Amino acid sequence: MLDIRSLSKKFGSGDSAFQALKSIDITIEEGEFFTLLGPSGCGKTTLLRLIAGFEQPSGGQLVLDGKDIATIPPNHRPVNTVFQSYALFPHMTVAQNVAFGLEARGTNPAEIAPRVDEILEIVQMAHLRDRKSSQMSGGQQQRVALARALAPRPRILLLDEPLSALDLKLRKQMQFELKRLQRELGLTFIFVTHDQDEALTMSDRIAVMDGGTLQQVADPRTLYDHPANRFVAEFIGEANFLSGTVAGGKLSLSGQAPVPLPHGADASGPVTVMIRPEQVVVGSAGGNAVTLDGQIEALVFSGTDTHVTLRLENGDTLSLRAPNNSHATTTFAEGEPLRVALPVDALRLLPEDIANAA
Amino acid sequence: MANKRFDVTHVPGAATIAIVTFLALYIPVLILVVNAFNGSDTAGRWEGLSLRWFAAALDNAAFRSAAVNSVIVALAAALLSTCLATAVALAVTRGRQIKGQGSIVIIVNQPLLVPEIVFGIALMVVLAQVKQVTGYQGLGYLIAAHTTFCIPFAFLPIRARLAGMDLTLETASMDLYAGRFYTFRRVTLPLLLPGILTGFMLAFVISLDNVVVSSLVKSPGQETLPTYLMGELRRNLTSEIYAISALLLFASISIVAASWVITRTKQ
Ligand SMILES: Nc1ncnc2c1ncn2[C@@H]1O[C@H](COP(=O)(O)OP(=O)(O)OP(=O)(O)O)[C@@H](O)[C@H]1O
Ligand SMILES: [Mg+2]
Repeated sequence: MLDIRSLSKKFGSGDSAFQALKSIDITIEEGEFFTLLGPSGCGKTTLLRLIAGFEQPSGGQLVLDGKDIATIPPNHRPVNTVFQSYALFPHMTVAQNVAFGLEARGTNPAEIAPRVDEILEIVQMAHLRDRKSSQMSGGQQQRVALARALAPRPRILLLDEPLSALDLKLRKQMQFELKRLQRELGLTFIFVTHDQDEALTMSDRIAVMDGGTLQQVADPRTLYDHPANRFVAEFIGEANFLSGTVAGGKLSLSGQAPVPLPHGADASGPVTVMIRPEQVVVGSAGGNAVTLDGQIEALVFSGTDTHVTLRLENGDTLSLRAPNNSHATTTFAEGEPLRVALPVDALRLLPEDIANAA
Repeated sequence: MANKRFDVTHVPGAATIAIVTFLALYIPVLILVVNAFNGSDTAGRWEGLSLRWFAAALDNAAFRSAAVNSVIVALAAALLSTCLATAVALAVTRGRQIKGQGSIVIIVNQPLLVPEIVFGIALMVVLAQVKQVTGYQGLGYLIAAHTTFCIPFAFLPIRARLAGMDLTLETASMDLYAGRFYTFRRVTLPLLLPGILTGFMLAFVISLDNVVVSSLVKSPGQETLPTYLMGELRRNLTSEIYAISALLLFASISIVAASWVITRTKQ
């Protein structure tokens, strides 16, 4: 539905020029909850502003429903934004704020009032319709901002870190409500966040960005299970990295006996191998696995798990989660030796070049 | 620790100095106002409260014409300077970033830099020629001159208000299908209004009170309230002058108070 084609954005010119986005390609599907995730300054807001029309791209196309909208001014794009600062009009009431887009667009006045009522009902703000927007809590302003952007029935709703100003409890609640709303309306959301938990729990698909480039676009499970590179692996969840070599279709890790490559993997030469801490098995594992010995360096009890930091014989560290459902973890002590196994199918081979750059 | 911080109100004598300064500033004005209510024939000798000098002033055709002139000039100059100041303030804060924006602000504030008497003499010389060529002797010259020196006063509060305004509000308006003009009318202007009103009132009061430029620019026989008062003073200090001064004072105070009330309630 929205095709972002080799979109790039350069700020300034000459020596002070800054390439904020480098040739971004994404296709966003109808009705999708699509998230832009990445560290501060990676260009998330810039991409969103390009889609909204507040900035002009330096190159590339933005194709919405088959039409290139890159040069259309924001007031003619069927796209609305929920701003991080909410940006509610302080001189207007809640209802006037919500009606604004409909009025500016020249909607038949007879249709405006019912639509405002309907949308205020949906975000549960009908009881505050005559409040001035400055006399409301952050969560309430958030709902009004959402209602105001939804009222004109946009094709796409853009949300720039809409929850970052809310406290944790309210944030969790709004995450849930936003997701429910998006499902019920069947509307396409493009959601910006730098909170990976938020991205994982809410999104249908996530685009991970860094330094103005796209690192990977995938659904949350794939991002976690099959990160495309070291940056994604580190940014989403926790990861252990080990260096290994592939020769003759076999992988050798930290001088251990070669094991077959993980299912579907294909590489040769030096590789970076990633494994999630919860995939590391204490003791020895059945099937294909790499067995490693080390010394317990740190132990942190966290209820269901014990977080163990292991110092391997070659000096690398490995973190793992040992479940507390057996008594094994009670015998752990710092400085004691521990043998762990890395099941081959939990290993991920990452391209070496990006690993070095990171 | 907090109570050991330097606090000017705890410096010995500070309060006394403040009170003395305050009295020195306001006692003469108070004396003037009291004298305006003096029922005596001769100024300076108290003979009980009376409004007779106010009545005499209102009866005085010369005063009435000067007052009408003053109000017309002040209204017109305030209106024009506020419009111009709004346009300039918008251009400086909202327009595309152009080189020389700083110099625009300096030009706008020029009347604050050039001594008033210099500005007045310059205008007088030029306008004398213009008057001769065109033959026009009306209030237009005063209005134009007042507009010029009122602009910086109108500009100040408007620019402050604009600078404090959240730019995302205008972005949000554009996002919600509003064009530039619609955005200006429904978002920028309403939010700017308190600043514009304050600017207008300030310009009005500044114009109402001007002597130097007015007396140099006015055509023969034309008077504004301050120039009329200056002329009368040269002849004789009467209780009527006190009454007129008091009226001018009340007008100024009520305008400033009104602007204060309006901006307070608009917040
Ligand atoms: N108008 C501009 N002029 C110059 N550089 C800009 C401009 N806007 C953004 N940038 C730069 O582009 C980069 C990306 O900015 P952007 O706001 O898109 O980051 P972001 O991913 O949204 O970060 P955050 O999570 O902190 O909001 C930053 O390095 C920023 O300094
Ligand atoms: Mg941002």
